[in-house]
Amino acid sequence: MHIPDGILPAQVCAGGYAMTGLATWYALRQINHKPDPTAEIPKGALLTAAFFVASSIYIPIPPASVHLILNGLLGVMLGYFAFPAILIGLFFQAIVLGHGGLTTLGVNAVMMGIPAVLAYHLFRLHDHFDRRLPARWSLAIFAFLGGGLGLGITALSFFTLVVATVPADFDSAAEKTAIVGLLLTHLPLIGIEGVFTALLVLFLQRVKPELLKESP
Amino acid sequence: MAPTLSLDAYTRLESPIHRWQPRLKLVGLVALIFAFAGVRQWVLVLPMVVITLLLYGLSRLPLRFLLQRLHYPGMFILAVVLVLPFASGDTVLWQWGWLSLYWEGVLTMGLVVCRFLAILTTGFILLGTTPFLSLIQALRSLGLPALLADMTLLAYRYLYDIADTLTTMQQAMRLRGLGRSQRKSSWLRLDMRLMRQLASLTGSLLIRSYERSERVYKAMRLRGYGVSTRRPAAGMPSVDGYSYWATALSLMLAATFMVVELRGMGR
Repeated sequence: MHIPDGILPAQVCAGGYAMTGLATWYALRQINHKPDPTAEIPKGALLTAAFFVASSIYIPIPPASVHLILNGLLGVMLGYFAFPAILIGLFFQAIVLGHGGLTTLGVNAVMMGIPAVLAYHLFRLHDHFDRRLPARWSLAIFAFLGGGLGLGITALSFFTLVVATVPADFDSAAEKTAIVGLLLTHLPLIGIEGVFTALLVLFLQRVKPELLKESP
Repeated sequence: MAPTLSLDAYTRLESPIHRWQPRLKLVGLVALIFAFAGVRQWVLVLPMVVITLLLYGLSRLPLRFLLQRLHYPGMFILAVVLVLPFASGDTVLWQWGWLSLYWEGVLTMGLVVCRFLAILTTGFILLGTTPFLSLIQALRSLGLPALLADMTLLAYRYLYDIADTLTTMQQAMRLRGLGRSQRKSSWLRLDMRLMRQLASLTGSLLIRSYERSERVYKAMRLRGYGVSTRRPAAGMPSVDGYSYWATALSLMLAATFMVVELRGMGR
């Protein structure tokens, strides 16, 4: 789900950087409203590194295997820190592994970071359902939705951008069919990401619940 | 994962590109990268490739460095662009049943591949000739917020340790029988037991990193992190003439590319 260099027109790359600048400014503003923002920096940094490393874990689905994006999970755990964390993670992926690119860093950050923040807000809704549903159920359901939504919006943006900008002379009906078709083929992956997020959140709830609590 | 993670392997070489001051090199090469990203006309492709080859030659980076780094993104871009000659265009070059090869698609594919190679190579010249810490320092001096710079440096510092921790944990889990299911694995079937084990593995990695971050933060606080002090004004390093001219030349080239591109679009 990383758009590499050389595919997108320069205007789209510049637009991606402008949106990333705006989103980073907003995320930093939210972070700076916390009582002690510096206390959160090591947590955000080490979890960024851990997510970067964890994204190399493969889930085997015979005969192939898939690797996870984890942007929904990042949002669920880090809140507004997820946006800078994804930006830094993508920067490392571009310079260390060659996933994504330097010109497309802004576009990729928007494509993965904004769904992560949306996943965070969706996950926090579980607090309202704790009385109506068993606590573990509401946690698992909203973690599943957060994880699935994170990847779902990312996949939709990715296919829309690639299909709409690369082949210049596709007609719009063909583009629409291609985007919907590609998204449908990725529905199982979105489900896997959601299930994985739910399993992981339940594990954290059992072992280290403070990691899921919203810091003041 | 470890060999590809070594970013600073060739940053101590001696070359005209290594001598270029990091802050100005960042400005000059990023301007060129964005100018290359805007190339849509074939007339600009040859100058773009020549400039890239010249820069790579001047950097004295081994070819192995580039080939190693192009491997993964190269496979991805091929998967994307190989469809183009068969999917977009009007002029049929070759036809076999329902499969047609279009001239316009071939041209677009060539353009995308050349642009991709030029941008990536220039990016790797920047990264391969500049120590990572100098690069972050240069970004900081160009306005990168302190929070982002601190997070990037800390994440970079612990990246290798966390990667080692994951390798050790995976090895320990394999020795305890991870992935050896009693049932025969069937096609396109998700093994929920294995999923749960992998979720626990990832969760443990996150918990370990979180606990470590608490210790790191306490150690940083003890050393005065977060206490606002009036630092003596750290004057910018003086710009040497060589870096100044190299940057000016890069900016001129980037501007020329953009002007030619804009004129071509207006026609």
